[in-house]
Amino acid sequence: MINNQAAKNTSQSTKMAKHLLKHPIPIIRVGRLENNNAGFSRLLVIWGITLIAVLLCLGVTLLLIERSKQAVMPVAPPLLPTAANPSDTPPEPQEVNLFLLDTTTLTLVPIKIERRLHRELRPRLSQVVSALIQETPPNFRNTIPRGTELNEVYIDSQQTAYLDFSSHLSDGHIGGTTAEFLTVTAILKTVFDAFPDDIKQVQILIDGEEVKTIAGHLNLSQPLRLPQ
Amino acid sequence: MLIFAATLSSIAQQPAVRFIDADGKTIAEVPAQRREAQVYLPVDAVKRVIDPATTHQYNHPRKRLTLKIKGRQIRLQMDKPTVSIEPGGQTLTLSTPPIIIAQRPMLPIAFFKQLLPILNDVDVIYNSNLNRLQIRPKGTWTAVETDNIQNWAIIVDPGHGGDDQGCEGSTGILEKNIVLALAKQLQRISKQQGIQVYLTRETDTKRTQFERIQVAKQNRGQLFLSLHCNASFSPHEKGIRIYLNNPKGQIRFPSTTKPALTGQQLKVLTQVNFLKQSHDFARALQTELNFLTETPVQIIDLPLIALSEAYMPAVVLELGYLSNVEDLEKLSNAEYTESVSQAMTRALQRYISSVNQQTSATAIE
Repeated sequence: MINNQAAKNTSQSTKMAKHLLKHPIPIIRVGRLENNNAGFSRLLVIWGITLIAVLLCLGVTLLLIERSKQAVMPVAPPLLPTAANPSDTPPEPQEVNLFLLDTTTLTLVPIKIERRLHRELRPRLSQVVSALIQETPPNFRNTIPRGTELNEVYIDSQQTAYLDFSSHLSDGHIGGTTAEFLTVTAILKTVFDAFPDDIKQVQILIDGEEVKTIAGHLNLSQPLRLPQ
Repeated sequence: MLIFAATLSSIAQQPAVRFIDADGKTIAEVPAQRREAQVYLPVDAVKRVIDPATTHQYNHPRKRLTLKIKGRQIRLQMDKPTVSIEPGGQTLTLSTPPIIIAQRPMLPIAFFKQLLPILNDVDVIYNSNLNRLQIRPKGTWTAVETDNIQNWAIIVDPGHGGDDQGCEGSTGILEKNIVLALAKQLQRISKQQGIQVYLTRETDTKRTQFERIQVAKQNRGQLFLSLHCNASFSPHEKGIRIYLNNPKGQIRFPSTTKPALTGQQLKVLTQVNFLKQSHDFARALQTELNFLTETPVQIIDLPLIALSEAYMPAVVLELGYLSNVEDLEKLSNAEYTESVSQAMTRALQRYISSVNQQTSATAIE
C-alpha cells in the first residue's frame, strides 16, 4: 500500500516536472521584464564601475601617502638611539668642574656640577662648554657674556679644540683686559680640566671664523694654552 | 653727646704722613694732625726726615720758632706764612702758615714741600689722598742731555675710539673719552719736560691696529704706551695694571714646531725682542704710579693684540676699573688724572734716563 502511494507520488512529481518543462512561461516573463528596463541597468553598471574606480584611486592615493610618510620616517629613528642610547645603558652622571669667578677672592674657582656626559669626545666637549655658558650658581659670576651660544666644536689631530661661539661673545663683552682675560681663562681652564688627555690647546672662533681678539686686548689669533 | 665725642675722637685719630724715597721705599712715617683740610706735622718730623742733627727753639710768648738745619737758620712765626732763611736772607711764603695745636708748634705740609727743595737738591711730591710725601733727588731723570731727550719720540695710544667705545662706567662715562683726555694731558705735561709725545688719535675716531702702528713708524717712535681703562665681572676689583705683550704669559701660544714660520708667528716673535725693555718701562711706570694708589700696581704678561706689530718697547697701561666705584670716581676727577699724567711723565723721564745711561756706558766701553 505504501509502495503504491510512493509510486503514485513519484509519477505525480514527474508529471509536474514534465509540465514545467512544457510551460516555462514565468521565466520568459522575467526575461521580458529585463528587456524593458535595459537603459537603466546599464547606467547602474557604469556608475558602479566608476564608483569602484574612484574608491580604488582613493585607496591607492592613501596608500602612496602612507608609503611616502614611511619614507621620511627612517631618518628620525636613528636620532633616538643617539639621544637616549637605548642599546647601551644610559651614561652615569659625572662630575664636571666649571671655572667661575669668585667675586670676593677675584679668582676663577672650580664649581662642581653633575652631567650625564656623552661617551664620544666631540659631543662631550660641546656639553661641557655649553654647561659653562649656562650655569651660574649664586655668589659666583659667569665670565661668558650672558646670551652667548656655542655654535659648534671640533677637535683636530693636533688635539686642538676649536670652539665656535656666537658673535655675542665679542659684541656683548663688557671690555677691559681683566674681563677679557677672565673670559678666555675660564674657557681654557674648564676645557683642560675636563679633557686633560684629549685636548692640548684651544682656539676660539666666532661664527666660524678665526678672530684676532674678542674685546680688543688679547691676541686670540692662535690656539691657546695655559702655563703648566 | 657720646656720638659727638666719638666723632671728635675719630677726627683726633689722624693718619700718619709717610715720607718715601724715589723708589717708593718708606723713609719715615710721622703722626700728623688735620685742621680744616690741612695736614700738620710736629717739628720732630724735620729731624726724622731732613737732618737728625736739627735743633729747634720755640718762643712761647712770641710764638716764634727757630730751626737750625744743615747750618742754616730758619725762622717761622706762628699763623704767619713768611719764612726767613739765613744766611742768604732768602724768604719764603708758605701756602699754609704754621699753627699751634695743643700748645705745640706744628708745621704744614707746605713747609716740607717748599723748603726741602731749597735745603737739599730734591723734588717733593705730595699725594693728599694717601698722605704720602715723596722726596726724590732733583734731576735724577732729567740729567740726561736735553738733546738726547728731545730725540726721543714717545707714541701714546689712546685705546678704542669712534664706535668702539671700550668699557663703560655706571655713570655713563666711556673708556675711549677718558683715555683720549689723559693722552692729551700727558702730551702737554711731557712737552713741558722736553719730551715729544705723538698720539695715535687726536679725536674720537676709530683706528685699526695697523693705523696706530703707522703713526708710530712715521714718527720714528721708540716707545709705545697704550692707554686703557679696565673692567672686571666683580665690582670689587680695582687698581692700576700694566700689561706686556708676551706670547708666553698667563695665557700662552703653543711653541712652534713647524720648520717654516708663518707671518703671524714671526710678528709675535719680533715683539718678544723688546720684552726686556718693555719690562724696564713697565717697572718705571709701576714705581711712579704706586705713589698714587693704595693697591700696588701689577705687571702682567699676556699675548696682546693691542701691542702686536709695534716693533719697539711697548706696554698697555690700564688706569683703573670702570666697573669699580672708587676707580670710576678717581678717573672722573681731573685733579687725579693730572697727577696720573705727571706720574707717567716722570716714568718716561726715568726710563729715557736709564736707557741713555746704558747707551753712554756701552759707548765708553
